[in-house]
Amino acid sequence: MRGKLIAALVVVLPAWAMLPLENRIHAENVALRYGTTQVTGGLRDRIGQGMAIALLAGFRGVVADFVWIQSHTFWEKREWLRQYDDMEVATILQPQSVMFWDLGAWHMAWNIGYAVSVDPANRTKAEGIKREREWWDKAREFLRRGIENNPNRYDLYFAMGWLYQVKYQDWCRAEEYYAKAIAFPDAPSYLPRIHARALEKCGDAIGAYQYWKGLWLQDHRTVHQPWGIVAREGKRLEDLLKIPYNQRVFPMDPARRPGASE
Amino acid sequence: MTEPASPVVIPRPAGSEWVGFSPGRVAAIARNTFTEAVRQKVFNILLVFALVVIATASLFAEFSFSEQLKFVKDFCLGTITVFGTLIAIVGTAQLLPNEVEHRTIYTILAKPVRRFEFLLGKYTGSVLLIFMSLVMMTLMFSAALVYKEQRLIASAREDAAGMSAPDLQQEIGQIQAATFDPDLVKALLLIFVKLALLAAITLLVSTFSTSMVFNVTVAFMILVAGHLVGTARDMWADNRLAVWLLGIIPDLGSFNIADDIILGNAIPWAHVAKVVLYGMVYLVCTVAGAHFIFSDREI
Repeated sequence: MRGKLIAALVVVLPAWAMLPLENRIHAENVALRYGTTQVTGGLRDRIGQGMAIALLAGFRGVVADFVWIQSHTFWEKREWLRQYDDMEVATILQPQSVMFWDLGAWHMAWNIGYAVSVDPANRTKAEGIKREREWWDKAREFLRRGIENNPNRYDLYFAMGWLYQVKYQDWCRAEEYYAKAIAFPDAPSYLPRIHARALEKCGDAIGAYQYWKGLWLQDHRTVHQPWGIVAREGKRLEDLLKIPYNQRVFPMDPARRPGASE
Repeated sequence: MTEPASPVVIPRPAGSEWVGFSPGRVAAIARNTFTEAVRQKVFNILLVFALVVIATASLFAEFSFSEQLKFVKDFCLGTITVFGTLIAIVGTAQLLPNEVEHRTIYTILAKPVRRFEFLLGKYTGSVLLIFMSLVMMTLMFSAALVYKEQRLIASAREDAAGMSAPDLQQEIGQIQAATFDPDLVKALLLIFVKLALLAAITLLVSTFSTSMVFNVTVAFMILVAGHLVGTARDMWADNRLAVWLLGIIPDLGSFNIADDIILGNAIPWAHVAKVVLYGMVYLVCTVAGAHFIFSDREI
């Protein structure tokens, strides 16, 4: 009995003494994770009892992956609302997974959007267009929440810009998001070119020209860009804007140089 | 011819039963425990299952490369945790009951071996088993990742028509960077500490129980409770008594950083060190508690 009593004290007293450390670790965990998952009744109903137990046992990533794979299955079965619901659950479980937000919005705006627009159940073509538009809006809202949860990654700003450009044909809003995306050092090298194009399409040809010029004046040995494309676009804008020859920076066709014989 | 020299006998001091602590004896018992465990079918079956499950993780195919790599990592680390937990709990739960049941404990303790050495040797053997299992599962995990990486790079090369060489190189670089994240070592380290702690808890339970089933059941209940501590503390933050009671159970949720590492979150080493320290203090206290119960126990 004496041994058990001592054992209890040896285990319990240090455990209590470590409560401040435990609290500090817990606080750091919450801060680092930026949105841990609370298993509420609603979430348990949506993922099922088995998944909820796995979630409680610490397998958040695995549960989120299985829900995501399930959403893929619903896509194959053309059960869009179930797919949407699963994509929502996956992002609730792992709000920091950029991939879930990015691909979820892509499914909504491109795959589901197109599928509902050509659904034979539509009574009129206008109904198809309206339904497609609703899914674009869902994708936009989904991305907005994704950006809210992951403000420090370029991916979702780019995805939002692409959605505005391709689906809404709103080049100005697209340009706003591209500008945010290219501010990140890990943004891919094609993004600045897309941004310049969006600037021009938004009506700011001068801004676009300045942007191409800025790209061109970088060190070609250290910065990776397909310089032929940059030169082509820059020259096109120089012609379009009628930039005086002495102010042009992009290499000119020798035949068109001032003073060249006709 | 000379007479053969008679053996020199050093007489033991009269009335002295005291035997000093010997790391050599602990190591011998640990080695023996490890060898015994490795020869057991249960361990081998669990390990083979784990390795097969990890190997199948590379079969996720019809998704984007970022999805595939995330799935492989989540799945493999989940498998390592599940099978590691099973090996830690089942492997440790049977140590003492088996010795008592087969009566081998009497032979060992009749020798100049202290009970603490016996217990520590058993625990060390169990931790060694956990470590070796983790190493093997990690190797298989790495192989699955390399295989997946090579498949993805090959697929990127096949789809590279119209893509410039630097763009292709950039995509391959992205795949390579996404495959091996050095921070995964932190996740594996914390999984190991958590499993060693679970083994210590199971050992503590087995010092006052004679049934292996009971040991396993209680250890699993503590495992579940340990994962709920964080949630429970948030819910009952105002109730001081509840907070103190919850403080007895280790917060096993603190060790689960694998998800966050896979998502690319920066987990500083300072945080990992705090969790390791927390786990080690619990572990030492639990083994010490097991010693006090075991030294009092009638065998």
